[in-house]
Amino acid sequence: MSTAPEAAAPQRSSSSRLPKNTRGAIQEYALVGVVAVILIAGAIIEPGSFLTSDNMLNVLRQASVVGVIAIGMTFVIATGGIDLSVGSMVAAASVVGGQFADSGSAMFVLGALGMGILLGSVNAGAIAYGKVVPFIATLAMFTMARGLALWISDKQPKSIFDLEFVRWFGNGEVIGIPSAAVVFVAVTIIGWLLLNRTRYGRYVVAVGGNREAARIAGINVPRIVFSVYVLAGLCVGIAAVLLSGRLSSASPIVGNLYELDAIAAVVIGGTSLAGGRATIVGTFLGVITFALIFNLLTLMDLAVEIQQVTKGLIILAAVLIQRRER
Amino acid sequence: MTIKRFMLPLLLVAALFAVACGSDDDESAGDSEQATQATETTGSPAQGGRVKIAFSAPGADHGWMAAITENARKEAKELGDVDLIAAEGVTDSAAQADQVETLIQQKPDALVLLPNEGDALTPVAQKATAQGIPVVVVDRALEAPGASRTFITGDNYGIGWQAGNYFADQLKCKGNVVEIQGIAGIQVTEERSKGFRDALKRRCPDGGIKIIASQPADFVPDKGLSVMENILQAHKDIDAVYTHDDDMAEGVVSAIENAGREDEMFLTGAGGSKAAMERIEKGGLYRATFLYNPTMSASAIRLARLIVRGEGLAELTEPEVPSQITVPATTVTKENVAELKELGF
Amino acid sequence: MSAAATAPAAQATRPVLEVRGLVKHYPGAKALDGVDFDVRPGEVHCLIGPNGAGKSTLIKCVSGIVEPTAGEVLVSGEPLPVGEPSASLDRGVATIYQELDLVEDLRVYESIFLGHEPRRGLLLDRARMREEARKLLERLDHPNIPVDAKVGTLRPAAQQVVSIARALSHDARLLIMDEPSAILDAGEVDTLFDVVRRLTAEGVGVIYISHRLDEVPRIGDRVTVLSDGRTVASGLPADTPRDTLVEKMVGRRVEQLFPERPVPRDEVVLEVEGLCRAPDVKPISFQVRAGEVLGIGGLVGAGRTELLRLIYGLDKPDAGEVRVDGRRLQPGRPGASIAAGLGFAPEDRKSQGLLLDWNLTRNVSLADLGRYTRHVLLDRAAERRDAAEQLRELRTVPDDPDRIVRELSGGNQQKVVLARWLLRECRVLLLDEPTRGVDVGAKTEIYRVITDLAKAGLAVVVVSSEMSELVGLCSRILVMREGELVAEVDGASATELELLRHAVAPTDSDPVLEENA
Repeated sequence: MSTAPEAAAPQRSSSSRLPKNTRGAIQEYALVGVVAVILIAGAIIEPGSFLTSDNMLNVLRQASVVGVIAIGMTFVIATGGIDLSVGSMVAAASVVGGQFADSGSAMFVLGALGMGILLGSVNAGAIAYGKVVPFIATLAMFTMARGLALWISDKQPKSIFDLEFVRWFGNGEVIGIPSAAVVFVAVTIIGWLLLNRTRYGRYVVAVGGNREAARIAGINVPRIVFSVYVLAGLCVGIAAVLLSGRLSSASPIVGNLYELDAIAAVVIGGTSLAGGRATIVGTFLGVITFALIFNLLTLMDLAVEIQQVTKGLIILAAVLIQRRER
Repeated sequence: MTIKRFMLPLLLVAALFAVACGSDDDESAGDSEQATQATETTGSPAQGGRVKIAFSAPGADHGWMAAITENARKEAKELGDVDLIAAEGVTDSAAQADQVETLIQQKPDALVLLPNEGDALTPVAQKATAQGIPVVVVDRALEAPGASRTFITGDNYGIGWQAGNYFADQLKCKGNVVEIQGIAGIQVTEERSKGFRDALKRRCPDGGIKIIASQPADFVPDKGLSVMENILQAHKDIDAVYTHDDDMAEGVVSAIENAGREDEMFLTGAGGSKAAMERIEKGGLYRATFLYNPTMSASAIRLARLIVRGEGLAELTEPEVPSQITVPATTVTKENVAELKELGF
Repeated sequence: MSAAATAPAAQATRPVLEVRGLVKHYPGAKALDGVDFDVRPGEVHCLIGPNGAGKSTLIKCVSGIVEPTAGEVLVSGEPLPVGEPSASLDRGVATIYQELDLVEDLRVYESIFLGHEPRRGLLLDRARMREEARKLLERLDHPNIPVDAKVGTLRPAAQQVVSIARALSHDARLLIMDEPSAILDAGEVDTLFDVVRRLTAEGVGVIYISHRLDEVPRIGDRVTVLSDGRTVASGLPADTPRDTLVEKMVGRRVEQLFPERPVPRDEVVLEVEGLCRAPDVKPISFQVRAGEVLGIGGLVGAGRTELLRLIYGLDKPDAGEVRVDGRRLQPGRPGASIAAGLGFAPEDRKSQGLLLDWNLTRNVSLADLGRYTRHVLLDRAAERRDAAEQLRELRTVPDDPDRIVRELSGGNQQKVVLARWLLRECRVLLLDEPTRGVDVGAKTEIYRVITDLAKAGLAVVVVSSEMSELVGLCSRILVMREGELVAEVDGASATELELLRHAVAPTDSDPVLEENA
């Protein structure tokens, strides 16, 4: 290690002197631009069915399940971790809720939330205290949760047609806005406040930014790491209730690849996979972006291969924009 | 510290050695055995002793596939004289091939196999056959002739065909139809789609029935839900929905019911799940399903046992088990659902 | 022994490089504000100065990377074409950067001729490349560097020779070397100097930039001091006394480097008793009073950093106790230490002390966010205000709390770390190498901060490898050797030699060391 004094940074062009928040804001503005482009393109390609209030509310409703999960995922990724198990966890949480369905909506909700938190805690314990690498720990949970879902449900979906509250939660409306969308927005707002306006959020980003420095500053790093996976589990529980409500059933085979959708949304929103830089607004926009694309391409009845290529290209473009801003 | 670091690679090398040495012995079996497989049996089970059957199917992340494995196990237990050795289901073709490789090391009397992908599993099936182990393949075909003794499959094309005919009758050759497919690109999906379209073309040559949307929903209900929600936005006049799978159709049904448009159209599924049967019985939106019954794995176990015993199918005059059996795709509607309900998975 | 006496009699001939009135403005700052400087053929001209003085900008102007705002750069009498590094190379100006710009996977002969490979028709003439490469290495007295070896397999010292050979392959008349001794150990530095003398014997002029002032008289013929973009002293003889050079750089007399030593009060703030952790720290006990600056000296590996980490709770001790204001401190929990009033500035401030992508406010407030939490949410306005105040008090430059920490110089970054603990109002500050990587001017500022803090009643513990620093700053100095506390001396009367003696040998005097006093 050289002992030569470090040079002061020479004068650079103004963009790199922007405070951290502004740099992230550029990424978010870029995404708003992308959303605008999609809306305009959709209005032109499918006039009459895309830009209707009915369809837009439909898109919001569809975005809500992965959206809630993505908010939780943002915290996980902010610490430099990752959670590959959220999709399977949704199935497991739904199914456990379903086991209590006969005792009413409240028990269903408690069951689903409880299972989500429980599985999240298992991830959390393995990663924070067991020192297992997040990728591996959550990969293991990915298979375990799916197995649990199939096992507990005996591979059969359970109808929850009678649970009025749960079905309303997923399908109902609040003054004309889908309740699922309201839940998504509420979770987004709470997530934003938590990340940006509380001590906890600051600690989360510190742990992701420089673990050792965070420790020296007195932050209880294992506890913070533990908490984000539990938080993800809670979001999974909420998402499970939403999904089961929409399907009117608790099914063990749902949730396929939700983790990839959530991670993609978080990444194109501007949160760094390496940790230390996170934006809830970006995640929200990322989720909306993908939901809009899926909706538009289905409306156009485009072959699925084209949908997948389009999605991949957007992810690539978003990451390239991110790199340029750094 | 140094020893620990080398442990893992050492163990891996040792394991590789063991496998390599194990498989070397079997190379000498040669191909001459293959020609005589149809008539020869393997010793004492033919005299009525216990039959050891190896079973491999892909990992069950889907109700149908889970039922396949479940049915095979149940059948083996019920038969009483069958020892079933099964591998844990995996979702990767290469992994399944490795598992089958391991299974046949245990020298079973027969192998019942549902390959994740036909091409990937063909070499290992050929190997089993070469070693004198008759192979009964279920549902998905292998690529080479002579790689298996008997092939039992459902009729994916037949499902589509029957559905097409059903739609032609119900709609009287006029209407807007939406197709919700399974996983895009796989053989099951392609055949179910092709059969449907061929039947429509034949029954309604003037094109009165239009397929206005065709999107995959990967055989899962949550995707079925989202896809159908979007299609409902795009089209305000739908007469019928053809789905490739009952489990997936549950999501599609939810979307239609949530939108309050169940009176506008009818829907069909495929596979034959219990839930579908119940809906058909109740009547309304869900009008029919087409069997693709996971009981075929149970039948495969029975067939394997017969082959090992050197017996044929009782009702046929031929003395041996046929080399290909296609289980028909029975149409299940309100009329006949009561008798067929017990087959639901 | 100075090299000045052996310089070739080249005063009569044209200087290889002349820089007159060079000015370079960037938006918002003057990097160079009037530089006059020249290099004669066959001379080693040292260039020294604090950080931010403009040395790198000067190099960039001379090597053609950057276009000056005003002034002249003449190479062998002809003006330099600006903005074209290749043109500078053609004119014989080559630069050896601190981070050697070599490609690891290329072979030595390929690296040397990269960009101007000799050809036979369309193909590379590898035979000739190898031959020429061998000759160049011989000229530098390093014939045993294999020309076919991949650069990545060579030791840094050898890689540096390859870099120099590359410069020679361009027929360099002027070689600029930026901190070449930074990556070398003592023996390799000697070898480097031999290489440099070979070059100067051939008439090549060398600009030698270094922070190690002791190198100036060893290799240099003349020395120029750069400060704040100006040549404060140009062309001084290389054997100018070190203190004079330091004064020119800092603009202040050397005696003023250290502030007045604070007087410790009576109350004992920190007590360490029997603290140990195998194998680095054997049982150690000592006390620190309020108002005291306690230094801990010793060689690298003596266990000083490990001791601080034990006290602060980053590592768990095997045995022993720490007491703050008489109360026992929970071991192994930095959070508890902070709550009890300890603060810690780690050795590597960039990787351990700061979050480089965060702004100053957030770095300063990180240990004390509880203060700004009102009903769960943070009061960001108050946070920013208080952070700004702390930064101003420490004379941090710039003191804008919204700036990103990464952009600050080493000395100012260290002030940010200190600001964090000042905000927290701690009782005991543990500082590990607080002036490492900090230029001379900023060091003085930090010394002032430390003494001010002690005067205000804090107990400050300073671990340092610079004996002169300990001697100038501390009220009392402990010396560690191999994990043990071997000596305790009074700060005012201690000498560097005394500390060194304790650090390397048993406490009785060592005749060998006496000789070099």
